[in-house]
Amino acid sequence: MTFLMQCARWLTDPAHWQGPDGIPIRLAQHVQLSAEAVALGALIALPIGILLGHFGRFGNLAINISNVGRAIPSFAILVIAFQAFGLGDTPIILALTALAIPPMVTNSYVALREVDADIKEAARGMGYRELAQLVRVELPLAVPLIMAGIRTSAVQVVATATLAAIVAGGGLGRYIVDGFATQIYTKVFAGALLVALLALATELSLAALQRALTPRGLRSLNAPASRRATSFKTA
Amino acid sequence: MIRKLLLSLTALAVLASACGSSNTPAAPKGTIVVGGFGFPESSILAQLYGQELAHDGYTITYKLNLGPREVVAPAIKTGQIDAYPGYAATDLEYYNNKAGEATGDPVATTAKLNSYLQPLGLVALTPSAAVDQNAFAVTKETAAKYNLVKLSDLAAVAGQLTMGAGPECLTRPYCIPGLDKTYGIKFKAFKPLDTDGPLTRAAFKNGSIQVGLVFSSDGDLNALGLVVLQDDKHLEAADNVVPIIRTAVASANVKALLNKVDAALTTADLVNMNSQIAIQHMDPDVIAKNYLTAHNYFA
Repeated sequence: MTFLMQCARWLTDPAHWQGPDGIPIRLAQHVQLSAEAVALGALIALPIGILLGHFGRFGNLAINISNVGRAIPSFAILVIAFQAFGLGDTPIILALTALAIPPMVTNSYVALREVDADIKEAARGMGYRELAQLVRVELPLAVPLIMAGIRTSAVQVVATATLAAIVAGGGLGRYIVDGFATQIYTKVFAGALLVALLALATELSLAALQRALTPRGLRSLNAPASRRATSFKTA
Repeated sequence: MIRKLLLSLTALAVLASACGSSNTPAAPKGTIVVGGFGFPESSILAQLYGQELAHDGYTITYKLNLGPREVVAPAIKTGQIDAYPGYAATDLEYYNNKAGEATGDPVATTAKLNSYLQPLGLVALTPSAAVDQNAFAVTKETAAKYNLVKLSDLAAVAGQLTMGAGPECLTRPYCIPGLDKTYGIKFKAFKPLDTDGPLTRAAFKNGSIQVGLVFSSDGDLNALGLVVLQDDKHLEAADNVVPIIRTAVASANVKALLNKVDAALTTADLVNMNSQIAIQHMDPDVIAKNYLTAHNYFA
């Protein structure tokens, strides 16, 4: 109990809310690292998943490759990338991007595959061409699952971005690494708590974004399909 | 025919026993777990101690690269390890909870250390002449630019420089607080990296730090273009290598064996062995074996 009180005191100490090691700066660094990695990951993963899902080819291959990618520890990628690129944000961005890709590939592939064949046929019958059908019919229907993939990625990335501190990077992981080195365990705990809160906030805000992006007609049907697919092939 | 066979068998047996007596270690004497800190020199020292003991018949288990003293000290207190290569002054200041009792005298420092170790069931043996102190390095360019030779030269320009070291440097008496207290050095910024490891070297290389914590026994400083600033006001205390072991395993024989290794070891030996890791990428166990062989410990 006293330990929790000490953590609360650490978090509310004004000295920890200012300067280059203050919570606002560390939080901003953490968000920036995570956002960059998720954006970069989305840029790579979504086109692959969407196209493979749309054409319905090589899907198993892509999903298996991305699942194997998920088995490589982020820590190892970080250390190897550090050897190659030296000090800076590049190694951590690489490691986090690799972590972000698999759930987005898998989910967007499944999302496009699950679009009802009748709907696709109807779209074709109404004169939609390939691209228009993908963009205006299939993608809106696939939004909930694609967003679920982005959400899964983002939460994992936010939690893992703490590793940046191990290679002298910034972010909230600094409190964990520095607290351990100096035996200030309240700092470690406070750091972990801040990361968990940020991950939770990420999850909630992306869920809100998902609701906003989902076509009105789909909202009444909502969650079950996405949950089914999420448990089907994502972590 | 049978006689011939018997003869050759006897010859074989004699041969085998001859081999056995001359070269293989003596009968098993019990198990000793040797631990080490998370930097290469500690692994080399642990291997020196371990291999010397193994040669005398002890069964050695190594638990190396455990991490900082904050991990190693609890491990020996609870008996998860039996011995580790310590450093007199830093260990004293750890066990006395930063009371500032370490001096430049290795014997006095070790005696003081033992007064704290005894209640814990631990003992520090005779300190070696080999020293590995915290040292502060700058690149040759920085040294030339600001005309730096000694740490006291640094005080005037430190406000323009960034210092890099492990995060614990911020609270250690022989690091940032000591530099401030003894020399009045206040840096522009502090960058948390690692203790004399790859992060510090990378940070020197890309210019994100100008001053970094290194060890005086490092083998690769010259090759990296780094120079150590002289500790002209003697901030650093006697960090002589000294084995710290559990009293339970500290038999007269074990003590004698470890003290024998320590008595011959010099700082130059440390620099030499460290450079074999840093530059030639050899393994600590091989380096230790080569050293012990070359100095006739296995004869």
